[in-house]
Amino acid sequence: MKIAVTGKGGAGKTTVSGTIARAIARAGHPVLAVDADVNPMLGISLGVGMDDTERLSAVRQAFHRGECEQEPSAEEMVQRFGSEAPDGVRIIVVSRVDVPDEGCGCGGLTAHRLLADVEDRGRTVLGDMEAGTGVLARMKVGSLDLVLAVANPTAKSIEVARRAIQTAVAREARVLVVANRVRDAGDLEAIQAVLGEHDLVVIPEDPIIARADAEGIAPIDLDDDAPGVRALIALGDRLVAQAVPAA
Amino acid sequence: MPSTAGLLRAHVQEPGADVPLWLAVAGKGGAGKSVLAGTLARVLARRRHRVLAVDSDPMPGLAQSLGVADPEVTALLAAAEQAEQGGWRLKRGVGPARAVASFTTLAPDGVRMLQLGKAGPDGLYGLTGPVTAFLQIVERLPESKSLRRWTIVGDLPAGPRHPGAGFSAYARLYVVLVEPTGQSALTARRIARLARGHLGADVLFVASKITGGEQRARVEALLGEAVDAAIPADPAVVESERRGLAVIDAAPDAASVQAVERLADLVLARRVART
Repeated sequence: MKIAVTGKGGAGKTTVSGTIARAIARAGHPVLAVDADVNPMLGISLGVGMDDTERLSAVRQAFHRGECEQEPSAEEMVQRFGSEAPDGVRIIVVSRVDVPDEGCGCGGLTAHRLLADVEDRGRTVLGDMEAGTGVLARMKVGSLDLVLAVANPTAKSIEVARRAIQTAVAREARVLVVANRVRDAGDLEAIQAVLGEHDLVVIPEDPIIARADAEGIAPIDLDDDAPGVRALIALGDRLVAQAVPAA
Repeated sequence: MPSTAGLLRAHVQEPGADVPLWLAVAGKGGAGKSVLAGTLARVLARRRHRVLAVDSDPMPGLAQSLGVADPEVTALLAAAEQAEQGGWRLKRGVGPARAVASFTTLAPDGVRMLQLGKAGPDGLYGLTGPVTAFLQIVERLPESKSLRRWTIVGDLPAGPRHPGAGFSAYARLYVVLVEPTGQSALTARRIARLARGHLGADVLFVASKITGGEQRARVEALLGEAVDAAIPADPAVVESERRGLAVIDAAPDAASVQAVERLADLVLARRVART
């Protein structure tokens, strides 16, 4: 199954992606986590640590350094440039722009192409997208099974999620709203008022997740019994159950 | 009533007034870029700057924080035309100054908002015309003599992509927002590396959503550098965001608005230091 996690910057895409990737891996299913953001951060939420996240090789820049004579297949890229994260999650970083290289910033390998080309092969392929809807909008119909639209209870975040959902629906992907940082019934109502017609899971506001973010570590490593973390693990389990074909 | 000559003198005598004050607000998503850019633009406009707010984010944000409604389509659409071969280009005779005068949206306090346009269901595909116009105008901003007297406040999309691609090359000062989180600090480091190295610009770090002195220290530890200013976590911002209003209109005396006033002093002092 191929899943893209999308939403406004700061909505919690990376934290959601990293935690459900770990949960799916813990449930015994192989996970390929694709960091599709040119500002790659997924390593932190997967538990790789801030400094090692900064050291993860980005495929596009590796090409530029001439570490590859001819362009390998998507699977070869995963094997060659991917890294191992805790619980056996495989992580691949597509590109980073803070290391300016020659050539066009959008030419060559792109996140939408890698996500489209890589086969799931029984794995859960989880793409942590760039803020906004750009990468998603460049994907073709049918290249994703599910889009998780992460929404916080703010007008801007809900509006970006609404646009992401429009984009996902136009690409015939299923949509699941992840109502994130929900403090009370009012927060949930604000999100449901706009996005209520879609399937929705609630992730409560959780000081443990905030603390993990502040320390640059994975929430699941700080406390996997905290309410927000538990809700994300339950979401991972639910996705696994959906991915396994009914007997 | 002061004479015209008196007004002119006052304008010229403002320290550093001959150095263009062109800045861009950058940082991780959710760090508070639009709120800061919108509020700073309004604060500077109230101090009699002619302010151009440049919104290069295809996601909504700046208009609300400036206190104006997002137009249905960006005013820039009218500045672009399709060539016979089908490609888009700027209409003849439209340069940066004319674009600012004719193809911007007027916000309160006289701020003019130049807008890339907002993404629809197909991303930027429906926006080729305005995007082309936007990039050509932004690229040519430094050519315009009359715009040197304007103050530019840019609101960038999340992350380092736009500074990396040179879409904000007009900015001589990057105001980089940093929340007390690992992700935010890593993003700020990456943007600063690009701004200082690749773009040769000045960087001002602003700790964002700070609840106490130890959090400012926490930001500095994560960043590995000192921060220049701090903006407190402010319930007034949360509330105005929830209501879809500009904080400077909904809560003009809020702690965060006062912090932006102090940041404006700092930005102006930096400009003087560069003269």
